[in-house]
Amino acid sequence: MKLGLFLLLVSLTLDAQGLVPRPAPDLRIVEASGKATTLSTFRGRVVLLAFISTQCAHCQRASMVFQQLSHEFAGNLQVAEVAFDEGADTPAFTKRFGLSFPIGVSNTDLTHDFLGIAHGERLGTPQVVVIDRSGMIRAQSERLGSPILQTYDYLRELLKATIKLQVAR
Amino acid sequence: MIDHSLSIPPAAALVFHLKQGFWLYAWPMIIGFVTILGYQALGRVVMMGAAKWPVVFAMASVVSMISLFGWVTMVRFIGMIPLYGCGVGLASAIMSRIYAVTMPLHPKLKMRVIRVIWRGDTEGIQKLQQALRARV
Repeated sequence: MKLGLFLLLVSLTLDAQGLVPRPAPDLRIVEASGKATTLSTFRGRVVLLAFISTQCAHCQRASMVFQQLSHEFAGNLQVAEVAFDEGADTPAFTKRFGLSFPIGVSNTDLTHDFLGIAHGERLGTPQVVVIDRSGMIRAQSERLGSPILQTYDYLRELLKATIKLQVAR
Repeated sequence: MIDHSLSIPPAAALVFHLKQGFWLYAWPMIIGFVTILGYQALGRVVMMGAAKWPVVFAMASVVSMISLFGWVTMVRFIGMIPLYGCGVGLASAIMSRIYAVTMPLHPKLKMRVIRVIWRGDTEGIQKLQQALRARV
């Protein structure tokens, strides 16, 4: 019994990832063109940030959802993506799915650092993060991915609530 | 992980979980059920020997297309195996209670319709046996 509890605690600790809410670390989004933006420049708007693999079908589908949401919440929401797969061709990805938000490239270690996940842990993609206007992470995918954070209906409600949260303060 | 201080309407999450539950758990069961039901019904219609070949061809095509469509749209993960099995088992159990599937000509509609003869339907079984004997 005690051993079981100990093993459960150890497994939970090993699977630990950044909890919410927590301040979002600053992140430099470097696009393929060389244009760089930092996450802090989006302060004042709600940010929907996704770490993607350009080859992953879920990421492709989710990107189209994010595009739709960026139009719906224009002015209040900033969408950005970071591709961390090797050899990601972000200009082709942008063109193929008709995306208008910035897509940067990064590596796995930086992605793990931002998400608060230990290096080497397997990640499910896309990893979706919602940051409020003050720079606090309010929602983040589970380490192996959260389908709920890829669906239009739920994300719309989540973003509405995050936008409202700031209006109330 | 979602900050619980956000006031998100519970209906949004509920709809998501219902949809997910359907596609992960109910859909494999439905596909298993429909596949077996379709193939067994087809087999029995063919065995009766009364249906014309274009009818058999159309039925076989539709049944195989339905089953393949189900497989393509199924979320494949290890948990769906017992659910698919449950659907297959349920359809097989139901089909075991069926004596025959016939396609008699409907007097008003002037077209062949599927008629199921259950094992408990003694009158229907007798009529079918008489019809088969008369054909021989």
